[in-house]
Amino acid sequence: MSAPTPNAKPTQAEIPSKPIDLIQSQYSLLYGNLHPILLLSLGVFSFNSLVSDPVNTLLGLAPTVAVLQAVYCILCLPSTGQAPPTAHKPGQKKKVAKPAQDIWAKVVPAFLSLVLTLTLSAPLLYIILILFGAPLTTHHLQTLLLALHAALLTTPQLFYAHGLEKNTWLRIASLQLPMDEVYGMSLGACLGAWLGAIPIPLDWDREWQKWPVTIVAGLYIGAVVGKTVGGLLCKGLRLKLD
Amino acid sequence: MDKGASKDSGPKDLKAENKRLSVQFKAQHGLLVAFFALILIFHILGIYLFCSGFLLSRLVLTNRSECAHSPLELLEGGSASLYTAGSPEKGCWHPRTFDKAVVIVIDALRYDFTVPFLPRSTDEESHYYFHNALPVLYETATQNPNNAFLRPFIADPPTTTLQRLKGLTTGTLPTFIDAGSNFAGTAIDEDNLVEQLFLAGKKVVHLGDDTWHALFPGYFEPNLTKAYDSFNVWDLHTLDNGVNEHIFPLLEPSMQNRWDVIIGHYLGVDHAGHRYGPDHPAMNEKLKQMDGVLRKIMDGLDDDTVLVVMGDHGMDVKGDHGGESDDEVEAALFMYSKRGVFGRSKPEFKIPPATAKERPVGQIDIVPTLALLLGLPIPFNNLGKPIEEAFLQGSKGWQQLALATRLTSAQIHRYQGEYAKARKLDESNTAATASLWQAAGEVWQKSLSLSKSDAKNVYQAFMAYQVENLRICKNLWARFDLVGMGMGIALLVGTFIIVAMYAQGIQGDRTALSPVLLGRGLMGTLLGGGVGALLSTSGIGPFWQWTVFGAGLGGILFTLAGLSVDREILRIPLPSTFWGGLSFLVTILLCVGFASNSFTIWEDEQLLFLLTTFGLFMLASSLGQNSSEDRNLGVVHSVSFMVATRLSSFSRLCREEQMPDCMSTYYSSATSSTSASWQLIIPFLVALILPSVIRQVYVRSLNYQGSAVIWIGIVLRIGLTMTAIFWVLDAADDGEWYPNLPEGLLKTVRIYIAQILLALTFAAGYGTYIWSSVLLTVKEEQAEPASISKPLDEADPMSPVLTTTSSAPKTRSKLIILGYANTHGTRYFLLPCVWALALQLVQKPMGQGTLALCMVSILNVLEVVDANNLRRSPLGPIVLALLGSFYFFKTGHQAALATIQWETAFIPFRSIVYPWSPILVILNSFGPQILCAIAVPAISIWKVPPKLPGLLSRVAGALTTHILFYAAITLATVIEAAWLRRHLMLYRVFMPRMLVAIINLLLVEIFGAFVAVLGLRWSIVSVGDIFGWPGAIGT
Repeated sequence: MSAPTPNAKPTQAEIPSKPIDLIQSQYSLLYGNLHPILLLSLGVFSFNSLVSDPVNTLLGLAPTVAVLQAVYCILCLPSTGQAPPTAHKPGQKKKVAKPAQDIWAKVVPAFLSLVLTLTLSAPLLYIILILFGAPLTTHHLQTLLLALHAALLTTPQLFYAHGLEKNTWLRIASLQLPMDEVYGMSLGACLGAWLGAIPIPLDWDREWQKWPVTIVAGLYIGAVVGKTVGGLLCKGLRLKLD
Repeated sequence: MDKGASKDSGPKDLKAENKRLSVQFKAQHGLLVAFFALILIFHILGIYLFCSGFLLSRLVLTNRSECAHSPLELLEGGSASLYTAGSPEKGCWHPRTFDKAVVIVIDALRYDFTVPFLPRSTDEESHYYFHNALPVLYETATQNPNNAFLRPFIADPPTTTLQRLKGLTTGTLPTFIDAGSNFAGTAIDEDNLVEQLFLAGKKVVHLGDDTWHALFPGYFEPNLTKAYDSFNVWDLHTLDNGVNEHIFPLLEPSMQNRWDVIIGHYLGVDHAGHRYGPDHPAMNEKLKQMDGVLRKIMDGLDDDTVLVVMGDHGMDVKGDHGGESDDEVEAALFMYSKRGVFGRSKPEFKIPPATAKERPVGQIDIVPTLALLLGLPIPFNNLGKPIEEAFLQGSKGWQQLALATRLTSAQIHRYQGEYAKARKLDESNTAATASLWQAAGEVWQKSLSLSKSDAKNVYQAFMAYQVENLRICKNLWARFDLVGMGMGIALLVGTFIIVAMYAQGIQGDRTALSPVLLGRGLMGTLLGGGVGALLSTSGIGPFWQWTVFGAGLGGILFTLAGLSVDREILRIPLPSTFWGGLSFLVTILLCVGFASNSFTIWEDEQLLFLLTTFGLFMLASSLGQNSSEDRNLGVVHSVSFMVATRLSSFSRLCREEQMPDCMSTYYSSATSSTSASWQLIIPFLVALILPSVIRQVYVRSLNYQGSAVIWIGIVLRIGLTMTAIFWVLDAADDGEWYPNLPEGLLKTVRIYIAQILLALTFAAGYGTYIWSSVLLTVKEEQAEPASISKPLDEADPMSPVLTTTSSAPKTRSKLIILGYANTHGTRYFLLPCVWALALQLVQKPMGQGTLALCMVSILNVLEVVDANNLRRSPLGPIVLALLGSFYFFKTGHQAALATIQWETAFIPFRSIVYPWSPILVILNSFGPQILCAIAVPAISIWKVPPKLPGLLSRVAGALTTHILFYAAITLATVIEAAWLRRHLMLYRVFMPRMLVAIINLLLVEIFGAFVAVLGLRWSIVSVGDIFGWPGAIGT
């Protein structure tokens, strides 16, 4: 964290954060709507195998989810430093040239986002899962894969859209970012996972109550709901903690 | 030292003003303590009313019936007896009929499973799967009435197997708490059939449901007995097949001399009901299997053996049981013998009743019946009567029955006499039965010839006595007093509203309201009590009940009226901030969860989950702080909070219901209650680390001086080290590490250490706390006058800064007060530090580690609350309440009676010493809740300016918010226990949790009022004496 800086100006007021707008293009619109459907159907179709064999199912799902998230970032989100979609105003004809370079300018950050997700957020989320009471001595693979999926659903889009700027991340972590699709998806996934823990202790003796099926289900449903709600209903809203 | 305010107003005025404010504070403080006491009284009244209606109790008499002492001795002086008691071979009190018995319990054998299905109308042709699948009992009883009979067998609720087996062997009625019984174990400690068999030298073999072993440990033939786990409801066949495998070989002639009584308990029917419900092919199949089994057993019997087949309860339409519905209580009873010894009182009774509504017998009736048939004494506490068919044999049938009934009644009479003596009951309770007893005695005197008609009269007269006695006992023991429970709940709801309004519904100075609330509350209590007493004379209900209810209701209504005197400052006590909402949500979730046995069972894990949720949000909020100093402080302490919470969660003592998904770590093994040797290191680590952590907090705000150095730096450290040594000595004594030492030496040394420690805590600790001055030093420094003062407001309480006072602007030198920033907080926090030592001593080594983590977490919360400036938010008090509840589990407890650490009573004593021993057990069981409650005032006064107005009001708000949490949990568990009063898990899950909630609430209120708020007085007075007194809010 920062060194003590007495009389420092409120550092966070420097850049007023705005909700992220999606890239206004055909592909972006199409995939932006397709993305939650793909995520959910992925979950629905693999639910049975998730219940019977969580480890292998989660392992098998992870690359697909990573790719889906990367495609979502590339097609729908403005990358860090990229100008918001004002570039696409009608009448302006600018960035038509050099499409190859353009695509690399998006693919590379997307790839980096995934790398950061794997190396930074997944371990951090693993620790948080343990803090919440995830088994520490057993079910290692299940918890690790759960952390991986949680990381895949919550952070690549944040890395892609916000970069690694410290103050922005302070705002993300302190829930001070204005609501948008990207942030909504991350928060929704967290909330969904939280709610997903509730049915575990019930004595219904169902196979799907086993670790970490309900959390994964909550994660996916929460991400999709959060993305939709954050992007449509609550856009621009800010949580007030104090 | 200078008095804070400017000198312009004149020192005299200032002194007078300060004096006035000081008196005002002390008055307000006294009234506040009294107000908390008033709330406590309301809660006690409500809880008393509820519990007196809910926890009906029966005194368990440990008297045993003896073979040589027939109850008739009392009547006849032992001489004129028709039968000489004392010979187990002939029969103890009555000639015996059978040598041996085979008792088959078919769990959940409902009566209509055993009788043919009779369509009530012609169109009702279809029948259910459970019909006509077990015809053997009905067929046998109809075809050979002298060899068998079948009757409905009515259970006394609750219809759970454990409670039923108690009834079926002791002949008593179930109640919630059998007072005097052994809390820790389930073994039956009153006179019962199995023990009587054992004492008579009979060889008892048990096969099947392992509940019998919990109830009667050690009474069964070890080689032949086979018990099976009764838990797995999904398995229909393992247990039944196991019983079959072992029971048939025993019936072979070669094995006949190896046993006298076989008890076979089949669970398949019950499990089929739980899993599929009665109307299912699986039930049909299961009943048919039982039909075959019973036929085979009947074939294998010899002439001297009686077969008893019974259901311990029935099942409802879903196949579950536990409640008191007709389907659940209507079981079946069948008795069979190859010798034709059974009779009927009327010829038409040869056909078994078509439904369970006709000619039922009580389940307790099997106890005297079986005892007399086998020639055993009737168990002392039995209330049942002999079943007529079993004694109406041959021409002397009626005489037999009359004698058996008289004998049973005499035993009941003897029991009633002992019970009345033990309970000190007056004669009004027994007047009705006494007259019936006398009348029966007169009938007996007149019919000494005992002709058949005389015998009938005698039988009926003693029956009348038994029936009336049973009715009275049922009223006394087995009924919930719904009126009392309702009254209790009403008072708890009312008190809850007061607490909620006072904690969260007042915008302004709470302490100013105290006189009104107290005055009205007391007036209402007196008036209401009077009205209630008057009403009770009109016959509306018992005097004490209505007086208590009137007092409580009057007090609550008048207090509420007192609250609404000034409507301006009231608001609806619903959350308006994020933290308020989160606290509200978490409390509600817990309250709702207690309606489910699963959530109640796994409460410890949920509390970890909820605390981590709070921890994460505290971390998030801290990260959002603008000042990097606040941010760092908040982040460090939020992370520390979460780590400490998770770390302590590894200390677990699992309750039975958590198995097998839980591993106990609290003791050296799951089946032990002693600490592992590695755990003995924990107290030493605590002694090393905990004082340093507290010291660090004090050092940061420059308050580590004076009494803080003495108590935290020296006494606490030494005390904790002595505690660690105490537990090493305890382990050495237990494990006999030094066999050469003189016996008892270790114990003596250990007890002295404990006594010294307790004396140290309460005498030296309180002495230090009360007479300590404020933890400040003043430094004088030459400086420019311009740089003297710095605005100090509540919104900017920097922790480790040297803050100058606003005083003396004209002097050249600057007064620097070291530790000014947290004057109140550190001064008060000495009190939790004092209590921590005593609470640590009474914990087991593992619990000391977790309780130390609890202390660290409390400090974390205080710092996070400061860093985020959330002193007035419900966050702090609610998180402390959650912490207290969480660490209850982490110090080796569960909401189950079995986990009470009784041995704590012997830490400083050799024997039980009242009242200290129960207090020690309470300090052990509820240490974390107590510690957290004492720490609550620190939230409001942590790092606030010394003269902050309305300090006391804020403390009152924080403490009532803390109490509000426990009051909500208590209200919820009480209502849920009342609602689920016939639930299968009531005894095991809901009632213990309700009791824990009640004790928590009362303790938190007692310690909150009389330790925390009362103790706050010395802390605030010592600050006020130096800095002057804050005014009220608005001045």
